Amino acid sequence: MSNVLFDEPGPRARRRIRIATVAGAIVLLALVALAVRQFAANGQLAADRWQPYATWPMWRYLLGGLWSTVLAAVVSAALSMAAGLALALGRLSRRPWVRMPSAAYVETVRTIPVLVLVYVVLFALPRYGLDLPLFWKLVVPLTVSNASLFAEVFRAGILSIERGQSEAGLAVGLTHGQTMRLIVLPQAARRVLPSIVSQSVGLLKDTSLGFVVSYAELLYSGKVLANYNGLLIQTYIVVALVYLVVNASLSKLARTLEARQPRRRLFRA
Amino acid sequence: MSALLDHLPEFWQGLIVTLQLTAASFAGAAVMGLVIAALRVSPVPVLRGIGTAYVETLQNLPLLVLLVLAVFGLPEIGLQAGLQVTATVVIALYEGAYIAEALRSGVNAVSSGQGEAARALGLTFGQSLRHVVLPQALRTVIQPIGNIFIALTMNTSLAAAVGVVELTAAANRVNLLEAQPIPIFVGAGLAYAVIAACAGLVTGRLERRLAVVR
Amino acid sequence: MVSMRRVAAVAAVSMVGLSAACSGTDSTSSAVPGAPKDNSVIAQAPVASAAEILPGSTMEKIKQRGELIVGGSLDAPLLSQQNPTTGEVEGFDADMGKALAKYIIGQPKVKIVNAASETREALLSNGTVDVVFQTYTITPERAEQVAFAGPYYSSGLTIAVKKGAAGIAKPEDLNGKTVIAGANTPAIAAIKQLAPQATIVTFGSDPECVQALKQDRGVAYVQDETLLVADAQKDPTIQVVGSPFTTDPYGIGLKHGDDQFKKFVNDWLTKIQGQGVWQQIWKGSLGTVVQGEAPTPPQIGSVPGS
Repeated sequence: MSNVLFDEPGPRARRRIRIATVAGAIVLLALVALAVRQFAANGQLAADRWQPYATWPMWRYLLGGLWSTVLAAVVSAALSMAAGLALALGRLSRRPWVRMPSAAYVETVRTIPVLVLVYVVLFALPRYGLDLPLFWKLVVPLTVSNASLFAEVFRAGILSIERGQSEAGLAVGLTHGQTMRLIVLPQAARRVLPSIVSQSVGLLKDTSLGFVVSYAELLYSGKVLANYNGLLIQTYIVVALVYLVVNASLSKLARTLEARQPRRRLFRA
Repeated sequence: MSALLDHLPEFWQGLIVTLQLTAASFAGAAVMGLVIAALRVSPVPVLRGIGTAYVETLQNLPLLVLLVLAVFGLPEIGLQAGLQVTATVVIALYEGAYIAEALRSGVNAVSSGQGEAARALGLTFGQSLRHVVLPQALRTVIQPIGNIFIALTMNTSLAAAVGVVELTAAANRVNLLEAQPIPIFVGAGLAYAVIAACAGLVTGRLERRLAVVR
Repeated sequence: MVSMRRVAAVAAVSMVGLSAACSGTDSTSSAVPGAPKDNSVIAQAPVASAAEILPGSTMEKIKQRGELIVGGSLDAPLLSQQNPTTGEVEGFDADMGKALAKYIIGQPKVKIVNAASETREALLSNGTVDVVFQTYTITPERAEQVAFAGPYYSSGLTIAVKKGAAGIAKPEDLNGKTVIAGANTPAIAAIKQLAPQATIVTFGSDPECVQALKQDRGVAYVQDETLLVADAQKDPTIQVVGSPFTTDPYGIGLKHGDDQFKKFVNDWLTKIQGQGVWQQIWKGSLGTVVQGEAPTPPQIGSVPGS
């Protein structure tokens, strides 16, 4: 708890806290009950509408989708981290002809919706003879877009390393490149790790654009399933729960990593 | 290029919808963010729990899933609104979680000595918040909130997937007719970039204005 | 390219493995129309004689590969819909693909490459897929970029409304109203042409469109007739009005200029129609929701562009 706002509560404050706790809990339960009741009244809770999701074949299909999601996320995370590191270094370069294009790339791409990039790859490129396989139709736009975000994460990490570190490196006779590689980057990498994990959560969420590309990731698998069994709402609720479990675990990992180091996170997901 | 010029009315209409979505959902997200941030720093455990659960849930679900669920699921519990309204509310709730986190970390960044000093001077809770904590917190959150605004602008494009004809959907439709994807999508992309650039300008100016020279 | 194939292969293998591991837990929802479980139709389908697989031809290449690569969908009920229980793709288009694969290779070995409707021409011309079975309407414009065998089926767009809704019987009645259509489907252009004052709302998939219709997001839903008939059968609260107002002859997309392969596919089509295999494929898929006997297949080469 932050102590900026409060002192330790005294007896009266504690009583008020207890009252608020009870009131809050009641309001919350009432809202949940109301939603469930409405849902049931519309027949959406009927057992036969949920029963398919108690069977293994449906889960097997969804887990297959999750596997594709993870694959797309891992490949585009790896590619965009590599590109992002290059862009970050480029943006910090002393040579203007390296610095300017890197900065321009990051600042432009960061402001273009991934969906527009997806449409370009989906509709525009085939027109010019470049028709990528489905997997890459999802991964390429994600990589192009996330590279700029990772670049900013890395740049912030590199800039957060105290100047004394690189000055010391230069003082002992290392070149600029050596200083960066041997002294600054290893420290920066450790510092940006939590941000990278939470940025990866964002990337994993973005793979749901496979829905548009018809790459069979988790959300698109949900679409195929809903097409097959006609249970639109149930299917998407199950899909949402799967995303929640996976991403919440990743976020937890980010927090654990963050707690292990003294510094605060540099970037939001 | 002519594909772009011939269909300016459609693009214009799409741009207006995008701007409406952006403005309305940012306003909603700001309010929601404030409420959730308040919950998360409140001394009442249940409220804190609700705030945490809210942020955890919304930050870990793809916006697209939330949109689809809201558009098709909410009518089933008797909450039906127009597509654009539904999309606006969903985006506001989603980005609200991010704004809440930005605000919370802003408040936490104010050193606790500041709050203690304010209380020692006899300021009430409201006064210490208004005169001491928030002015300092806001300064540090301008940049993050600017970034959230840009992310929000881009996220409005996902409303296209649930039938809202905003800029991206308009571009897609024009492309179906004209089949000239490059000028059409570059045009749409530029429009987003311009919105984001304006946001960047405003946050930069605000930051300079509120900056404290130490 | 390679990695995507590998992904598909890995997914396929793991699915097969898993389904072998847990057969017997098969309990899908009952709300599934037209999911033929037996492949007896394909078992009866003919196989080409060795003489017909000309040396150096596309057919020979496919036979040597041992697999027909089809551009298609996974989410088109009754036509080409993946059955999550088995991983099999089922429906009219899917079975036609299997029958063609059997004719060439001797076994119904098909790999479906999920094709978005805008990319089919590119997939064919750069050789990613051998054929396209995907409600691919034959038009003279498309015929400049790809070759069409067939038509092998003829369908049309029609209108569904909520049961009891009045005032909509033909496409012109849609003027000034909000109409639901599937994103990137031919319905959009057809509505624009016949009811220019209609407002079109698009959703990504058929169940979404049905849900939107039931939730009054539009007064009517325009889609291929067979799909709508199936929807109306699954869901008694919607009904189909009138008869199809367009004629969409579906062709088998082939690489442009490959006349040898086109003739081969057309000969196969004539053969399976003569032997009644085409009719049985229809009965096992579309015929499960449409009353009566199989229709007469359209005349091969009868459409401009085929």
